[in-house]
Amino acid sequence: MSDPSSINGGAAVAMVGKDCVAIACDLRLGNQSLGVANNFEKIFNYDHTFLALTGLASDVTTLSEVFRLKTNLYKMREERSIEPETFANLVSSTLYQKRFGPYFIGPLVAGINSLTGKPFVCGFDLIGCIDYAKDFVVSGTATDQLYGMCESLYEPGLGPDDLFETISQAFLSAVDRDALSGWGAVVYVITKDKVTKRLLKTRQD
Amino acid sequence: MSNTIASEYGHTDTSVPIEHRFNPYSDNGGTILGIAGEDFAVLAGDTRHTSGYSINSRFQPKIMDLGDDLVMSANGFSADGDALIRSFQQQLTWYHFNNQNKKLRPSSAARLIQHLLYGHRFFPYYVHTIIAGLDEEGKGAIYSFDPVGSYEREQCRAGGAAASLIMPFLDNQVNFKNQYDPATGQARLKTYLKLDEVLNLVRDAFTSATERHIEVGDCLQIKIITKEGVREEFYPLKRD
Amino acid sequence: MFLTRSEYDRGVSTFSPEGRLFQVEYSLEAIKLGSTAIGICTSEGVILAVEKRVNSSLLESSSIEKIVEIDSHIGCAMSGLTADARSMIDHARVASLNHDLYYDENISVETLTQSVCDLALRFGEGVDGEERLMSRPFGVALLIAGIDENGPQLYHAEPSGTFYKYDAKAIGSGSEGAQAELNNEYHKSLTLKDAELLVLKILKQVMEEKLDSNNAQLASVTKEHGFQIYDDKKTTEIVEVLKAQEAEQEDEEITA
Repeated sequence: MSDPSSINGGAAVAMVGKDCVAIACDLRLGNQSLGVANNFEKIFNYDHTFLALTGLASDVTTLSEVFRLKTNLYKMREERSIEPETFANLVSSTLYQKRFGPYFIGPLVAGINSLTGKPFVCGFDLIGCIDYAKDFVVSGTATDQLYGMCESLYEPGLGPDDLFETISQAFLSAVDRDALSGWGAVVYVITKDKVTKRLLKTRQD
Repeated sequence: MSNTIASEYGHTDTSVPIEHRFNPYSDNGGTILGIAGEDFAVLAGDTRHTSGYSINSRFQPKIMDLGDDLVMSANGFSADGDALIRSFQQQLTWYHFNNQNKKLRPSSAARLIQHLLYGHRFFPYYVHTIIAGLDEEGKGAIYSFDPVGSYEREQCRAGGAAASLIMPFLDNQVNFKNQYDPATGQARLKTYLKLDEVLNLVRDAFTSATERHIEVGDCLQIKIITKEGVREEFYPLKRD
Repeated sequence: MFLTRSEYDRGVSTFSPEGRLFQVEYSLEAIKLGSTAIGICTSEGVILAVEKRVNSSLLESSSIEKIVEIDSHIGCAMSGLTADARSMIDHARVASLNHDLYYDENISVETLTQSVCDLALRFGEGVDGEERLMSRPFGVALLIAGIDENGPQLYHAEPSGTFYKYDAKAIGSGSEGAQAELNNEYHKSLTLKDAELLVLKILKQVMEEKLDSNNAQLASVTKEHGFQIYDDKKTTEIVEVLKAQEAEQEDEEITA
């Protein structure tokens, strides 16, 4: 367990619904089996584009700041906010620049394209290979559990409320079966003109 | 004796002893799943048998009917699983001889399996074992074991390659974990599921596991234990 | 007859020309010298009773142990060379404990009895030069009383290694008279209370001394309490009830 991507623990998931997307993460930060903090959010937003980062906590913090810098520079040059699809490519190329000394993270991107109104989610491996998924993407130390949950609970075309219920049930049951994830959870439900952030009450063990 | 030989051409040939090690274990994939109901129990498993990325068989059923309305499966290294089930069947025959053909109860079968597994404490059977049957009151009973015999009676348990995918799904759908009544805010009350509901969950669990796990697929075998006896059903799974 | 006997009664594993094993037959004789033990099986439970021979007024009668616990659901009474019973009891206790360890359930009374009888036959072992476990057959018979999923049961195990299930059985010196009385008095609808009185009544008839809590011991196996040896107080109470009952009967006979 000296694998850098599972020292701190943590999990995240993103799902596509009808004209909406949802993205969720846990709040745990640990040192191996020792729980250190229960307020470590792993979802960051750059205007209407959302990024979840699981893995090595120092890389999570570093990368979230790197992307803040890069999206701000983008905004100044382009005079508009970055779109989710564009941001996904930015994440990919940034990670690949560290091909032989990678950041130990598992990013997810979620958002709704402000021009087309199309919901978008995607996932990455640690060196930037993009996984464009139509339904859901998962990441972190509870990936097995999340795939099992999402594959069985997910259905296409869910409205914001049903999507929230589905992603929450899937996420909570998954992290409850992972010792390194949990200790609270956050869910964002994103529609074209509204973002809802909910803190979930979870078991604290 | 020296391992270094000086050749006439001046360079040296060094002979390094190569260590060959026999690995007595392998992993044959597959997944099993047991759920207990009020008056029934089911034990299900896929029928794919693998070695690494190869599929050895698309139809190698691994849920065994032991008689006495007990079913058993030992998932993992299939040679060990088969050996364990064989030795259990032999012990069961002896139990009948010594105990006036008394029907072996699931609780007794569980204790016996613990001893069979713990007997190999230092060269374990590489398996995750689950048995299913009906207890003295006629209620469904599932017992699950680790490779060295630690065991527990449960409402449901997934074992094998895709256990980590299925288990949280079972927590959520069988034991209603994380489900709350929207009106009262109280945790959803535990109730027994009906047989058709359980069979639907089992099939959903396996289609999901098949989708995401390469060692799971081909065919789903389900054994159902009721007071009428043991019945078996098969369903196709994706073969990719 | 005596001559043929003397030639074939030395080895424990040699048949006589008539097909008899004299040492085994003698062991059955040893039991007939022992103190009387009686068992009665009812639908409510099993009652065991033994006579204690208190040879001396200086002897502590509590040190005479002829009814022992095998497990919480099985007990036994013995008659004959009681020292021989030690190894049988030990074997039975190990068998019962092992069954619980391996199967997480109580051993059945028949299975327990069978395992004791397996031991009783091992006097023949060791003829081929290997280490010998026993020099002779056991000189003791057991009445094994217990309860399992088939209800209360009483078994009689002999040194020959055979065993039978009984509704009521007497062994030891007074067994002939006692068995005859059991045959007369036993019926299926006997209650546990009836059996307590009956067993003491019969024991009293076949004993030489006057019956009291000092020279008789009772035990029961019931679904509710498992195996229990009766203390002196309880035994005395039953003896008193028996006395009162008999006095009543005498009065009736006089008035008649």
